[in-house]
Amino acid sequence: MSNMIQVKNVSKEFKKVIKEPGLKGSVKSLFHKKTEIVKAVDNISFEVEEGEVLGFIGPNGAGKSTAIKMLTGILTPTSGEIIINGQVPYKNRKKYVKEIGVVFGQRTQLWWDLPLSETFTVLKEIYQIEDKAFKQRMDFLNQVLDLEPFVTSPVRTLSLGQRMRADIAASMIHNPKVLFLDEPTIGLDVVVKDNIRKAIAEINKNEKTTIILTTHDLSDIELLCKRIVMIDKGKKVYDGDLDHMKEKYGKMREIHITLKSDNDINKLSFAEKFGLTGDDIDIALDGKKAVVKFNSSKAQVSELLSYILSTITVKDIAVGEADIEEIIRRLYKGNENDETAHGNAAAVEA
Amino acid sequence: MMRFFRLYKTFVVQQLKQLMEYRVDFLTGATSFLVGQITNIVFISIIFSQIPHLQGFDYYEIIFIYGFSLVPKGIDHLFTDNLWKVAWFIVRKGNFDKYLTRPINPLLHVIMETLQFDALGELLTGIVLMIIASIKLGINYRFGNVALMLLAFAFGTVIYAAIKIAGAALALWIKSSGSILQVFYMSSDFAKYPVTIYNSAVRNIITYIVPFAFTAYYPASYILRGNDPWFCFGVGTAIAAVLLTLAILLWNRGLRAYESAGS
Amino acid sequence: MKWIGHVKRVYGGFTRAGAQGAMAYKFNFLGFFVGESLYCFVMYFIWKAVFEASGESIFMGFTITDMTLYVFLANIVGFLTNTDSTQMLAEEIREGNIIMRMIKPVNVDMSLLATEIGDKVVMSAFIFLPVMIGVEIYRYFALGYVAFNILMFLGFVVSVILSYILAFYLNLIFGYLAFWLMNIWGFSILKGSIIKFFSGSLIPLAFFPDIVGKIFEQLPFASMVYTPVMIYMGKLQGMDLLLAFGKQIIWIIVFIAIAKLIWRWAEKRLAVQGG
Repeated sequence: MSNMIQVKNVSKEFKKVIKEPGLKGSVKSLFHKKTEIVKAVDNISFEVEEGEVLGFIGPNGAGKSTAIKMLTGILTPTSGEIIINGQVPYKNRKKYVKEIGVVFGQRTQLWWDLPLSETFTVLKEIYQIEDKAFKQRMDFLNQVLDLEPFVTSPVRTLSLGQRMRADIAASMIHNPKVLFLDEPTIGLDVVVKDNIRKAIAEINKNEKTTIILTTHDLSDIELLCKRIVMIDKGKKVYDGDLDHMKEKYGKMREIHITLKSDNDINKLSFAEKFGLTGDDIDIALDGKKAVVKFNSSKAQVSELLSYILSTITVKDIAVGEADIEEIIRRLYKGNENDETAHGNAAAVEA
Repeated sequence: MMRFFRLYKTFVVQQLKQLMEYRVDFLTGATSFLVGQITNIVFISIIFSQIPHLQGFDYYEIIFIYGFSLVPKGIDHLFTDNLWKVAWFIVRKGNFDKYLTRPINPLLHVIMETLQFDALGELLTGIVLMIIASIKLGINYRFGNVALMLLAFAFGTVIYAAIKIAGAALALWIKSSGSILQVFYMSSDFAKYPVTIYNSAVRNIITYIVPFAFTAYYPASYILRGNDPWFCFGVGTAIAAVLLTLAILLWNRGLRAYESAGS
Repeated sequence: MKWIGHVKRVYGGFTRAGAQGAMAYKFNFLGFFVGESLYCFVMYFIWKAVFEASGESIFMGFTITDMTLYVFLANIVGFLTNTDSTQMLAEEIREGNIIMRMIKPVNVDMSLLATEIGDKVVMSAFIFLPVMIGVEIYRYFALGYVAFNILMFLGFVVSVILSYILAFYLNLIFGYLAFWLMNIWGFSILKGSIIKFFSGSLIPLAFFPDIVGKIFEQLPFASMVYTPVMIYMGKLQGMDLLLAFGKQIIWIIVFIAIAKLIWRWAEKRLAVQGG
C-alpha cells in the first residue's frame, strides 16, 4: 500500500485583527488596528493510504477548514510539507487539481441559474474529458447518485439533498484520485444523509478513491471511516481507529432527568455509591432539568438508572450517548490535565 | 490556445442559454444602461441649448466624443463583468475557492464565466451616437482612420479591463473592494468630455495614471481634429499594455496573498 | 412614550449592527466618498466650461458659486439618501433568506431601515460634515462673506431626513421587484439613472424648459434631492418652504402605503409557495 497523502509538521498562522467590541471599538479600528498571530493549524502530521476513507474531525474553529484548504491547494502552509498524489498541492496547482475533487458542503460549485446538465457540460471542457469517457462517467454517477430526476432543472430549484448529490457528482466528473468532502451532509435530513453516505461508500469501493471527510455528524464517520484524525485548537489530538477512540474516550453516557423538585439532585451521591469522581462524572442542572454525564466503563447505565429512580421522584428520564463534540471536549480536557494522554492518543497509530 | 477557445465557446453557449431563459432581465438590464446614457445626452443638449460651443467643441463633436467613450466601455462591460462580482462579493462570501480548485487560470476562469449582455445598451448607444455625429459633422472615413479607430477601441477596452482586474485583485487582500473599484471606474466619467475642460492636474491624472482619456478623447480628437496620431494611438497602446501588465502582476500577487491568508 | 423605548430596544440592535458593518468595510466607505467627489469634480469642470462659454456670470439664474454649491450638495444629498435596501432585499429574496426576517417579530421595513440608519449616522459624521464645511469655506472665499444660515440649515436637515425616508421606501419597492425579476442589478442602474435625472442631481430642475421643470418638481424624485438642496441655498422661503415639506410628507405616505401593500401580497405568496 502506498501513501496517497503525506502531511508532515504542517502549520498555518494567520494575522488576526483584534477588534474591541461595540461601536466604539469599530471607530477605533478605523484608525488603528491591533493584530495578533493565530496558529490555526499547529504542527500536524498524518498519512493516508490509497483507497482509505479518513474522517477528519474536530469542534468548530478547530482548524479543520484551514487544513482542508491547505490540502486542496487553496492555502499555502506557513511551514511543513504536504505531498498528495506525488505532488505538492500549493505548487503547480493547475496540475494538482486535475486529480482531486472538492466539495464544500456550505457552498456550491454548480452554475446557479442554469440546468444542472449545463454545469457538467462546462466541467467537461474545464477538465478536458473525452466524449466517450464523459458519457461513461455520467452513467456511473447517475447510477450512484441518481441525478436523472433533476438533471434538467435549474440548480437554484434543487432541494438541498439534490444539490449535494449534484455537487458530489460535479467533483467526481474527472475521475479524481482524491476526494475532499467538507461537511457533505450538513443540513440534510436523515434519509438524504443516508443516501449520500451510501453513494460515498460506493464511490470509494468502486473507484478506490481516497477520501478525506470532515463532518460534525458522528454517524457519517461511523458508517464511512475506519480511521479518524481529530484536531482541536489547531493541534492533532487523536489519530487512529474509531472504535478505539470510542472505547477510550467515548464511553461517556448521558442521563437526562426532569426533576420534580430542584433540590432532589443533591440527594444523589454518585461518588459514594459508584466511585464516580473527577472527570468520570459531570452534572449540569438547568431549572428542573438535569443532565448527568458519566463514564460507562466505571459504572453500568442500568445501575445508575435504578439508583436514581429509587432515590428520588422523577417526571421523566432518558439515556443518551455523548456526541462528537463532547468526546472531543473530554479528550482535550484530558490532554490539558495529563500530558500522557496525548502520548496515548498518538501511540494508537503506531 | 485551441482549448481556451473551446472552453470559451462552451461558456458563451451557456450564457446565451441563460439569456434566452431570462429575456426580461436582459431587456431591463440593457434598457437601464440605455436610459442612463440618454439622460446624459439630455443633459448635454440642455447645456447646448444655451451655449454654442464648449471649449471650442460644438454639440455634435461633444456627442461624437461621448459616443466614442461608450464603445470600449461597453465592450469591456460585455466581456469582463464577472470581475465586479469578485470585487463585491465572490471573495467576501468565500466563493473564490472554487476557482482555485479548477485546472485553469483563475483570472481567465472568472472572466470567461460571464458575458454581460446588458452592455449592449451602452454599446448600441455609443455606436448610434457616433453614426449620427459622423453624419452631421461629415467625417470622412478612410481605411487609415477606421483602422486607427478600431485600434483605439481595442486599447480602450484593455484599459477598462486592466483597471477592473486591478480593482478585483484588491479583494484578494481586503475581501471586498467593490467601492474602490467603483471609484476608479467612475473616473471614466471624466473621459466622456474633452479633457481640455479640466485643469492640468486632472488632465494629467486621466492621461497617465487612470488613463481613461485614451479611451475616448485622444483618439476622437484625432478623428475630429487630426491631433498628433503618435500620441493619440502610440502612447495609448503603450499605456494600455503597461497597465494590463501591472494589473496582472497585481492579480498574481493577490492570489499569493489569498493563498497565505484565505478568507 | 413607552413605545419609543420599545422601538429603541427592538431596532437598536439592527442600527448598531449597521453602524458596525459600515465601519468594518471602511475601504468601501472611503471608496464611495472618493467616487462621489470625483463625479462632483467632473460636473464642476463641465459647469465651469459652460459658464466660460456662455460669457455671462449668471446662467439660467445661477451664478458659478451657486452652481458649485449645487453640484456638491446635490451629490452629497443623493449619496446620503441612496440606500442599499434594494440590493439587500433583492439578495435576501433571491437566496430565500427573506424568511429569516419574516420569522422575527419585527417589521421587515423597520428592521431594514434600522440597519441602514446606523450606516447613515456614521456616514453623516464622516462624510457629510467635512463636505459641508468644505462647501462653506468655498462659499466664503467666493462671496467674501459668511452666507451660512442656521435656519436654512435646520430646514435642510429636516428635509434630508424626509428625503431619506422617501428614498428608502422607493428603494424598498424596487427591492421587492426581486420577487419577479432576477436582474435587480440592472434595475438598480435604471432606478439610479431615473433618480439622478428627475431629482435634479444631474441638472437643476430650474434649467429644464419651464413647463417640464414644473412637472418634474411635483414628482417624488424632486423631493429626494432638489428640495433639500434648494432649501440649503435659501431658494425656498416662506410658503414655498412649507409646501415643499408638505410634498415630501405626502410622497412618503404614498410610498409607505405601496410598500406595505406589496409586502402583504408577498407574505401571502411566500406562505403559499414557500419562497
